[in-house]
Amino acid sequence: MAETSSHRRSEATVPTLIVAARRERDVRPHRLQQIEGTGAPRLIPLDREEFVMGRDEAASIRINSARASRRHALIRRHEEGFELLDNESRNGVLLNGLKVFSAVLRDGDVVQVADGVFVYHEG
Amino acid sequence: MPMIVKFWGVRGSIPVTAQRARVFGGNTPCVEVRCNDDVFVCDAGTGIRELGRDLARRAPAPKAVHLFLSHLHLDHIQGLPFFLAAVPKLTVRIYGLSEEDTSRQRLLCGELGAEFFAQNPAAGRARLEFDHFEDDALNIAGVRVRAIALQHPGGCHGFVFEHDGSKVVYASDVDLGVGAEDARERTASSDLLTLRPVPRPLLHAARGADLLIVDGQYDDAQYRDHMGSGHSSCLTATDLAIQADVKQLALFHHDPDDRDADLEAKVKLCQLRAAKLGADFPIFAAREGVALKL
Repeated sequence: MAETSSHRRSEATVPTLIVAARRERDVRPHRLQQIEGTGAPRLIPLDREEFVMGRDEAASIRINSARASRRHALIRRHEEGFELLDNESRNGVLLNGLKVFSAVLRDGDVVQVADGVFVYHEG
Repeated sequence: MPMIVKFWGVRGSIPVTAQRARVFGGNTPCVEVRCNDDVFVCDAGTGIRELGRDLARRAPAPKAVHLFLSHLHLDHIQGLPFFLAAVPKLTVRIYGLSEEDTSRQRLLCGELGAEFFAQNPAAGRARLEFDHFEDDALNIAGVRVRAIALQHPGGCHGFVFEHDGSKVVYASDVDLGVGAEDARERTASSDLLTLRPVPRPLLHAARGADLLIVDGQYDDAQYRDHMGSGHSSCLTATDLAIQADVKQLALFHHDPDDRDADLEAKVKLCQLRAAKLGADFPIFAAREGVALKL
C-alpha cells in the first residue's frame, strides 16, 4: 500500500518538475556575454525584439570604439532564436572569425563588432 | 550593387534532423544569390522550403525567381514542390542546359504529380516557366550566368554568377580527383606540400572568384573509401581554391554522418593545408542561415 502511494506520488511529481524545468528554460532569455572590448565583462539578456550594437550613445549595446559605426549591427529576434545583421557598417561583423552579412545565431557563436567580442548563449 | 549569397541547405545526400547537425544545418542543397531584387537559386534541396517561406515575407516581393538545378539527384530537387506551394504569387523560371534539354521539365512535372506530392488545392502554387542556356551562358538583369560541366555520376553542372566585378562559383557534387591519374596516391596524407591537379574547366571558371562554394564532403581517408561516388576531399577543394586564387572558400555538400565538430575539424585541416602552401584566405564550412555580402 505504501509502495503504491509512493509510486503515485512520484508519478505526480516528476512530470510537474519536468514542466517547471521546461517553463524555466523557455522563459530564460538568450544572452550575449561580452568577453573583450570596453564594457567587458558583462552579460546582456536578450529580452527585447531588437538590439542595436554600435558607437551611438543611444545604441542598446554600446561599443565605445572608433572602429565601430554608429549603428553597426543588429541582433533581432528570429523564429529560431536571434539573428545577427550587419547594418551597413564600415568595418563589418565577424561570426566565429568570418565576415558575414547576416546569420542565425547558435549557442556558443562568437560575434565581433569592432573591438567588442561577444559569446551568444541560448537560454 | 553587391551580391548577397545565403546558404539555405548545405547537407549532401539526405536531410539530417539529428542534434549533431544543429549548428551547420541538415537541409539538402540550396543557395540563394541575390542581386538587386533579382533572386537566383542554386538547387532545390530541402533548404529551398525555408527560402520560400522567407521570400513570401519579403517586401517588395521579387518578381521572379531564377532556379538553376545542378542535376536531378533527389537531394537537389526534393524541396521543390514545397517551395512552389510556399510562393504561390511568384513565377519560378527553371533553366535547362540547352533548348533540347527537357529533362528538368519532364522530371519536375512528374515530381509535382499527385503520385509524389499531395498539393493543397486551395493553396495554389507558383507559376513555373522553363528556359534554357544559350552556349552555356545567360544574361539576366545584368547578371551573367555560366554553366560548367562537373565530374559526377550521371552528369552535373556548376554555375558561375558575375555582376559588377563580383563572381560567385557554385560547384556542388563534383569529384575533383577524377581526371587526375594518381588521385588515390595524391590524397595520401603525406602529400602535404604539393598542389593536387584539379579539373581545368572548373579551375578556369573559379579563377579570382570572390566566393567559391565547392563540394568538400570527405576528408582524404573518406575520399579513398568513396572514390567514384562523385564527391571530393575537402583538401583537394582547398587546392582548387589556392590554384584559382579565390578570395573565400566555402566547403559544401556536408556528409550526412558528419557532426558539427567533424565539419569544424575539416575546416581546420584545410586551413592548415592552405597555410603550409602559403595561401591566406577565409576557409569555412557553409552553414545554414549565414549570408555573405560580396
